[in-house]
Amino acid sequence: MMKWLFGMCCLVVLNMVMPAYADGTGWVLFDKVQASVRQHNFDVSYVVLKGGQAETYRWLHGRDGEADIEHLIPMFAEGVDIVRRNDRVYYLLAERPSLITRSERIKELPALLFEEPAKIRKLYDAVAGSSSMIDGRSAQLLRLSAIDETRYHYWLWVDVETGFPLRIDTLAEQDQSSQNRALETWQVTHLRITPEMPGSLAQLLTIDLPDTTTAETTASVSTQQHELSWLPAGFDIIPEPLHVPQLTPEVLSYWLLSDGLHQVSVFVQRSHQLPTQAYRDGAVTIFVQSDAQRDITVIGPINVDVAQRLAAAVR
Amino acid sequence: MLSEKQEWLSQAADNKPVTPEQLSALLTQPELQQTVQRYQLTGAIMRNEADSVLPVDFSDTFASLLDQEPTYQLQAQRSLLQKVKMGVRQAANAEWFKPAAHGAIAASVALVAVLGVQQYQQPLEADLSMPSPVLQTRPVAGFATPVSLSQTSVDSRFEAQEQQAMQEQQRRLQALLQAHRQQVRITEVQPTTAATAEQEPREHK
Repeated sequence: MMKWLFGMCCLVVLNMVMPAYADGTGWVLFDKVQASVRQHNFDVSYVVLKGGQAETYRWLHGRDGEADIEHLIPMFAEGVDIVRRNDRVYYLLAERPSLITRSERIKELPALLFEEPAKIRKLYDAVAGSSSMIDGRSAQLLRLSAIDETRYHYWLWVDVETGFPLRIDTLAEQDQSSQNRALETWQVTHLRITPEMPGSLAQLLTIDLPDTTTAETTASVSTQQHELSWLPAGFDIIPEPLHVPQLTPEVLSYWLLSDGLHQVSVFVQRSHQLPTQAYRDGAVTIFVQSDAQRDITVIGPINVDVAQRLAAAVR
Repeated sequence: MLSEKQEWLSQAADNKPVTPEQLSALLTQPELQQTVQRYQLTGAIMRNEADSVLPVDFSDTFASLLDQEPTYQLQAQRSLLQKVKMGVRQAANAEWFKPAAHGAIAASVALVAVLGVQQYQQPLEADLSMPSPVLQTRPVAGFATPVSLSQTSVDSRFEAQEQQAMQEQQRRLQALLQAHRQQVRITEVQPTTAATAEQEPREHK
């Protein structure tokens, strides 16, 4: 009888401890992923699969003491180089003016690899999964399950040896039947981690990049003609978003929303009398709702239902 | 016949005796002399007897040939260092650069013209012709049928207008997608709660 009771108690304790242990393991693994992409010197090629479309990138990173440099090359876009040197990001374009922004990361790279874990923990549960082989390397699955069901989920396959992410799937649903129906897949095709930073990066560290030492200007805050009466769970409005001069005559109101990891734009324009439509570019939904007075366009990595509700919330 | 000729020539090159007829043929026919010369050169090389198989004026000839070569402006496709050195010095947004960057104009157009079009237009065009869940003009439940290039119409004029409207719609959406990407690119995310927004309570499991 005592043995039976002891066995039951052990089972109860195990049941209580295991989920917590799984969560803890997941976040430890996630921290290892973020540390890997920030600290290693590497030369990586990866592909982003959006349905039948594939975009190939080469991504180099190097650290040397305090110096931190990153070079992203979209192989499908001739003449575009994106360089991050510490907190400056340079978009260098062949025979065209370059663009400089201040950021700790290149926005074209997956945000979840760089955003603060505290922000991500508010939105996701991390659960370590089974092991498998990705491109001949031993990889462990890490599931980031959205706390809010309307948000997309992420499945990461992490290199066991280095902690480097080998594949990231963006999923609308997590059930097994839809396992192969990722909205977007980010997959490493070549990985080389080295003790020293790649030679080209060492040169980029010292070379003169486009100048930013000029006068600063303040943003002209346009007057919003409408109000947004609802936000998706976890999202807030970014104050003073970028003024969009090229769209000014057409855009009546604009909001940029963020949950710390994803950004969503809401545009209000005069009506073009076109039918309501929804498009998808990988994980990004483009939703247009039109009536006699105005067109509302919602763009961001959210599902159509949320986009539709956002559009309906414009007053 | 040919092999016989080459055989005695080869023997001659190796200092083997030749008949008077063969000797007179060798003296009168330049092609036979050249053949013997080649054989002797080959033998000398195999015996390590030749100092150089190249003519004395080889370097001068090669230099003159190089001088005659046209100049090619070959550049590595991805020579970023070269590109930067060639004068990409001034940022397009140098006038408005600031930490929370505002007001990208020229550079945004330039960049998205490369990135945006390829990311958006290609799948859009592709998916119009095949019913795929990716970036297609699919109707959202409860709404009117979307405009689609795959729709058929008996009135060709109406079809043309429809196509034109569709292209205009695509152009407009593409511009908005580019604007969205540019916003994400240059905005440092520091969200605050908006006064106008009524947020739903967040639930954490």
